[in-house]
Amino acid sequence: MIQEKLREKAKELLSKKEVDLIIGFSEWTLPLRTTPVFIRTPEGTESLAWNSFCENNLATYLHKFGRFKVGIVVKGCDARSVVALSLEKRFPNHRPLLIGVPCQRMVDRKKVKKAVKGEILQAVEQGDLLVVKGEDFEVTLKRDDFLYSVCRSCTHRTPNQADFLIGDPVEEFPLDEAHPDVSEFEGKTPEERWGSFEKEISRCIRCYACREACPMCYCTECFVDSTRPKWIEKSLSPSDLAFYHIVRAYHQTGRCSGCGACERACPMDIRLTHLTQKLNQEVKDLYGFETGIQPEVPPPLSTFHPEDEQGFIK
Amino acid sequence: MKFKLDKKDFERFLKDLMEAYDLFAPVQLAEGVSVFRKIDQPEEVHLTQLVPQKSAKEVFFPQSEVMFRYETVEHREPILSEQRIERERVLLGARPCDIEAISILEKVFAGEDYTDVYFLEKRRKTTIVTLSCNHPLTTCFCSSTGGGPFRRDGSDLFLTDLGESYLVELLTEKGMAFSKNRFFREAGSKDFDLLKELEEKASKKAEASIPVEGIEKRLDLMVESPFWDRIHEKCIGCGVCTFLCPTCHCFDITDEAVNLKGQRVRNWDSCLFPIYSLETSGHNPRPTGRERTRQRLMHKFNYYPKNFDRVACVGCGRCILYCPVHFDIREALLYASSRRSKGQEGQSR
Amino acid sequence: MESETVTNWEPKILAFLCNWCSYAGADLAGTSRIQYPPNIRVIRVPCSGRINPLFILKALQGGMDGVLVSGCHPGDCHFLSGNYIGRRKSATLKRFLEYLGVEENRVQFSWVSAAEGVKFSQVIQEVTEDVKKLGPLRNFVKK
Repeated sequence: MIQEKLREKAKELLSKKEVDLIIGFSEWTLPLRTTPVFIRTPEGTESLAWNSFCENNLATYLHKFGRFKVGIVVKGCDARSVVALSLEKRFPNHRPLLIGVPCQRMVDRKKVKKAVKGEILQAVEQGDLLVVKGEDFEVTLKRDDFLYSVCRSCTHRTPNQADFLIGDPVEEFPLDEAHPDVSEFEGKTPEERWGSFEKEISRCIRCYACREACPMCYCTECFVDSTRPKWIEKSLSPSDLAFYHIVRAYHQTGRCSGCGACERACPMDIRLTHLTQKLNQEVKDLYGFETGIQPEVPPPLSTFHPEDEQGFIK
Repeated sequence: MKFKLDKKDFERFLKDLMEAYDLFAPVQLAEGVSVFRKIDQPEEVHLTQLVPQKSAKEVFFPQSEVMFRYETVEHREPILSEQRIERERVLLGARPCDIEAISILEKVFAGEDYTDVYFLEKRRKTTIVTLSCNHPLTTCFCSSTGGGPFRRDGSDLFLTDLGESYLVELLTEKGMAFSKNRFFREAGSKDFDLLKELEEKASKKAEASIPVEGIEKRLDLMVESPFWDRIHEKCIGCGVCTFLCPTCHCFDITDEAVNLKGQRVRNWDSCLFPIYSLETSGHNPRPTGRERTRQRLMHKFNYYPKNFDRVACVGCGRCILYCPVHFDIREALLYASSRRSKGQEGQSR
Repeated sequence: MESETVTNWEPKILAFLCNWCSYAGADLAGTSRIQYPPNIRVIRVPCSGRINPLFILKALQGGMDGVLVSGCHPGDCHFLSGNYIGRRKSATLKRFLEYLGVEENRVQFSWVSAAEGVKFSQVIQEVTEDVKKLGPLRNFVKK
């Protein structure tokens, strides 16, 4: 069992004092969810969990624990975030030890909730099935029908660059075509695209959960908080909301691992990942770059090639 | 005074209502995402989501509110204009927790030292039609914080879903204004029995489980407790819990100006944002998540109770349901309350 | 009244010109008395690599109908590689804005050297014509 092996490895690392703390997932009060845990003692590793609800990208906590030797539980996408952070020299003291788990892809709790009527009190995984129970219902769902859309199109599920791999690598499925959400959006006219984007972000409450959940958003002062110069107002005008969402996404160019943490964090269910997926597609197309795959290749926007595409320049 | 309102008449009832009032009720923005908005068409009203993401506080205290506009014309003094509420309002479909939260806000905005005209104007002109909770969620803990799924305080009218109809209770003078409504029918003993049954069932489901009695005193002893070192660790510092919270009421005032024209706007702010407490000098008295998480809990369970004799939490569970990292405020409260017997960490440091 | 405003409408275009090439190119156009449309407002920047995409967005939000970023030709950068770095930012931003539904020609880029007064005037003419065809920016601009 992956969960058992994970606990064993974490216990070993803590016992041998190879790390000061382990960042992982633990079950908590709600079904279909886990919560991040920070474990400092070998005994504490008993609370580590691994299941299809380990949706957070824990790499976002590495900024908080930079002073410590950290062992961190990572999925494929999380590992790529760590590589990207490493390229940006975010680990001057200790590079975190990556405890990689080949990812079975995570279950979208919102999709599951929509599939049943009534409150879900319990959710149990049985192989490929998901048994969901409520006060007066019990249904069995096919796990694969309820995956996050970013997980569905994931091409690197096995963590690369992991220091330890828990379990065997999983088969990868390269995408033949563009990201489906991106292609769908691209199928619209420019006017429709802007309309759809504006409508989607009109729900934004500017809680910045998308920013905080993202491991790559670590600026000491975010442009939205800057007062000199003041880039953006704090109110909810469509223009300011668009400004925020364009820049938040664009700042991820060549840095986004496509984990989808931004979208999962959003309390208003705003579709955000297609924005960064589009940018990922662009840097792959223009510069052959994929985030977090090669630990030696510099991020695309901090380097250049004399022969870069410039057909758009007069 | 109690009546019955058939669901088949509900939309027409709303239509009538909208002739005389501006109607505010939950609307669905996307599947599973709803907020309180001004209603244009009766069919927009969406009552099935027990706790809409944003609470009813927005009807009285909008996330972004223009306080006044100004414009300098030919070098003369600026023209000021204040936002006034023209029509009477009805808030319909908020649950008892959200209504209780309004009374919590009222204590702040209509305090002895300061009265907030923007809040009060809206509050005065609003009739509150509450909808009871027949099926509280497991994240609901309203009974622990002094409320309950059928708590009627603060409501002018109180609706209970009986299946085919709503049972309508008129509770105040504002509510009595509806006594002649053409859609209200006489309710019978059968309806009252069903009401009683539903109320008992819901109250049982929402039994108090979190001890908040006297929590402010326990927290007094915990200001420097190592508890805070651990509890904040998973918090990523976004504003979900504070923005969705029906009782959080911090705001920031900014001028949005272009050339000689502008407006003064107040926007919700969150104590979990580092910039919230950042001073001009660059010093931040709440430099890390530890102090900020402590502030959030202390304000609700220590500072506010000291001022107003009750906790500033109504147990709606939004912060649990929508937290991106699954922070559960109930666990924090349980932990804090268990400290009472284990001793006085505050003093040991 | 309405139709009159439309026919008389002239686009406002913000041009970020690099100090070492394009700005000098504009200067040359001026001293050589080469005519170009008066629709541009110029902001001199140290290098086209200095352009933060925020600048471009802020200009559009603030009421500009189009934005031009102009720098030194490849290989001519005063700072050796600033324009190469800028080129990548421009390429990705341009594609991203188009993806979101901002019209292709709202944001444009050019290489203009200090010796290219004629090219500078041509670029300004082209950009002005392009933006004129698009009409005033409606989306995104702050009302």
